[in-house]
Amino acid sequence: MSRPPDDRSSELRALFFESAGELLQSLNEAGLELEARPADEEVIRRLRRAVHTLKGDSAACGFHKLSELAHELEDVLSPQVAQARGADLVELVLAAADCFGAMLTAYQRNAKLPSLDALRAMIRRLREEPGAVASPAEDTAHLPARFAWTEYEQLMISEAVHRGEPVYNIALRIDPNSLMRAAAFQLIRNVLHGSGTVIALRPEDNVAAATVDIVEAALASGQAEEKLLHHCRIPSIVSDVRIERVSAAQMPEHELLGDLLEAQAADLAVSAAGGAEIVGAAKPANPRSAAAAVAESTLRVDAARIDTVMNLVGELIIGKSMLNRTLTEFDQKHARDPVRAKLADAMAFQARILDELHKCVLKIRMVPVEQLFRRFPRVVRDVAKQCGKDVALEVSGQNTDLDKSILDSLAEPLMHLVRNAVDHGIEPADARLTVGKPARGTVYLNAYHQGTQVVIEVRDDGRGIDLALVRTRAVEKGILKADEAQRLSDQDALNLIFESGFTTASEITEVSGRGIGMDVVRTVMDRLKGTVQVSSQKGRGATFQLRAPLTLASIQTLLFRVGGRLFAVPLSSVVEITRITEVEIHKVDQREVLRLREQILTLVRLNHLSRLRSIESQPAKKKNFVIVIGAAEKRFGMVVDSLVGEEELVIKALPGEIVSTDLVSGASILGDGTVVLILNVPAILSRLARAIPLGAIA
Amino acid sequence: MKQFAALLRKDNQPVRYLVVDDSVFARKNLIKMIEMFGGEVAGEAGDGLTAIAEYNRSKPDIVLMDITMPQMEGIEAVERIVRQHADARIVMVSSVGYQENILAALQKGAKHFVQKPVKPEVLYEILRYVLSDDPAAAGAPVALAGEHRS
Repeated sequence: MSRPPDDRSSELRALFFESAGELLQSLNEAGLELEARPADEEVIRRLRRAVHTLKGDSAACGFHKLSELAHELEDVLSPQVAQARGADLVELVLAAADCFGAMLTAYQRNAKLPSLDALRAMIRRLREEPGAVASPAEDTAHLPARFAWTEYEQLMISEAVHRGEPVYNIALRIDPNSLMRAAAFQLIRNVLHGSGTVIALRPEDNVAAATVDIVEAALASGQAEEKLLHHCRIPSIVSDVRIERVSAAQMPEHELLGDLLEAQAADLAVSAAGGAEIVGAAKPANPRSAAAAVAESTLRVDAARIDTVMNLVGELIIGKSMLNRTLTEFDQKHARDPVRAKLADAMAFQARILDELHKCVLKIRMVPVEQLFRRFPRVVRDVAKQCGKDVALEVSGQNTDLDKSILDSLAEPLMHLVRNAVDHGIEPADARLTVGKPARGTVYLNAYHQGTQVVIEVRDDGRGIDLALVRTRAVEKGILKADEAQRLSDQDALNLIFESGFTTASEITEVSGRGIGMDVVRTVMDRLKGTVQVSSQKGRGATFQLRAPLTLASIQTLLFRVGGRLFAVPLSSVVEITRITEVEIHKVDQREVLRLREQILTLVRLNHLSRLRSIESQPAKKKNFVIVIGAAEKRFGMVVDSLVGEEELVIKALPGEIVSTDLVSGASILGDGTVVLILNVPAILSRLARAIPLGAIA
Repeated sequence: MKQFAALLRKDNQPVRYLVVDDSVFARKNLIKMIEMFGGEVAGEAGDGLTAIAEYNRSKPDIVLMDITMPQMEGIEAVERIVRQHADARIVMVSSVGYQENILAALQKGAKHFVQKPVKPEVLYEILRYVLSDDPAAAGAPVALAGEHRS
């Protein structure tokens, strides 16, 4: 394969792989939709578009095998085939998505291509079917329109569609000869309002209309399309009309995304071919110009560059606190100096800008969780099919934003949880029916923000987790002794599933039950400074909650001193701070505990925890501070010598060779150059949870 | 001169027009066109007040209304007529300079507008559209006898 070594083409290739990944995703999605509504022409059209774009792009990048295969696939994607052989076509599309995916990986790694025979055979079988010969020419309209509705409008549209009201996207070109544009627009508005409910309208008012050629509207109307068309052809006002019915499947955001991808792909093809020959991507009468305009407002940037900016901003924040400390010193020495006030003003100004900048950079890294969720419909379908179950997936909170790198790390644990929910959680249909549940099981994915954390929930309406079984297994696996297992609270027993090597599945299936999985979930969440929580109701299902910080880059912390050293804990995990005298500390089971109101709180002394023991403990004072720290359901109190204050810290990861304990998650540098260790709260908790008296470690 | 297929009402009767303009010449010009379209002049008025009286008397199918007139402006006449007769079909006639007024008239319920100087073929299409836009008639084109204008 020829691959010019220059930068331009490697950038192009990177772009190709990225956009091809998205195309495969839409192929998967459309395939699933096709399964739900086999004869939906809109879905077929979208499928064709995705395959077509892939064909053009891959040819432009010199991946001819992929391009040929896409071409063959495109030929069989017709409404006729879908009608005659719907189920087969779905299988083909999904298989093709997998096959294309494998090919892309192979291209990316310069590896050998996978065998394409199976897919070719599938295509051939479908092609032999009559009716698939002629692919209908796409009846794309000629009027450039974007129908770029706002989120709210999209919501209104999809609501109307789901209520069963026909919704139409209408584009009208104001007659170029019309000299009274504002009046023309008003008339169009009158006509639209007379024909149904106008959900969205561009432009929005008469003033803007004076400069606009094309009016776009989303209209819910019970009138027949033909009649609408007649109404919209207003003589001497409207020279051109395009009406598209919005189908339930094709929600406008997807439509927009499709256009965007297409435009991008076209750009790719154009630049690849040097403008000389545009590979299959240019249909002259397409809504290209408008879509291209959308594409231009999005910018693909290498994530590493954003990270660099992020780091620099982090350094600036450190610089800010350096300045602040200097100012405090200056204050003390020259309290009456008029320069002081000026300096303080300038710094306040700078701090405000810096704050803004920090927020902006954080926002760049934020992506909607939808990017992760969208791969799950396919996962659920495949796993359910393998297990012979009927499982639906319901997704909500897709628009919740979180840091891209966190999102990427969550993919694996979430995959485990969803697979588990389908495989272990949901019962077979007959078992469900006997307990009075609908035969079809449901897995719910939800995401939302809570404070500085993002919460992702995986819930199923299956059998729930069998606690007795968990206890038995834990004893069998030697994780616990029998009597310990019985003493364990239900919640603690439930948490056993996160221990490494644990599984309740009585047999190992292909899907899950290899005993890895849950502990992977926990490991990943720990690494992210997040938590995983599980709750279960027997017979009603289980819920897993993944909590992760919104962003990894900086956190609000509470600084404190123990034995002369400076430490920090994330402020989000601090529940309260209290002062105690030594006499309030009791010893139970070799552990120090504190009775705080009605709760018994385990106390932790940092100088007792392993590997931090080099810290000198101070002679017992009369009064000590106790920071009550909570993560998930667990609480503990940390005895500290003194509190220093709150500070926003930029976390610097510590290389493994410097820190050999997992109790510290990172370090940061204060403005005066002091190094602060940031404690890893989940790690401390899990150490406590191992039911080993702390004295044994110290 | 162009030939136009007659614009007729649902009951195959000629469409009846009320022509409102303070210029006699403009009225004559419009009436000539109406006759070309196979219509019938139900009444004429030179100002808004008279227009309202004429409307109530003759109950026309279409009103062609000038926008600037003495006594009562076209906009106000539109508002009053539409308030009494919600199904009134009023087409505003105006020169380009009065876009604001046209806009106001459309907001008050005028069905369409046509620019002066009025071209017969433009007016014909507009009338055809306005006549077809009849909720009771369910959008059926008004008796167009099959053939189009040549």
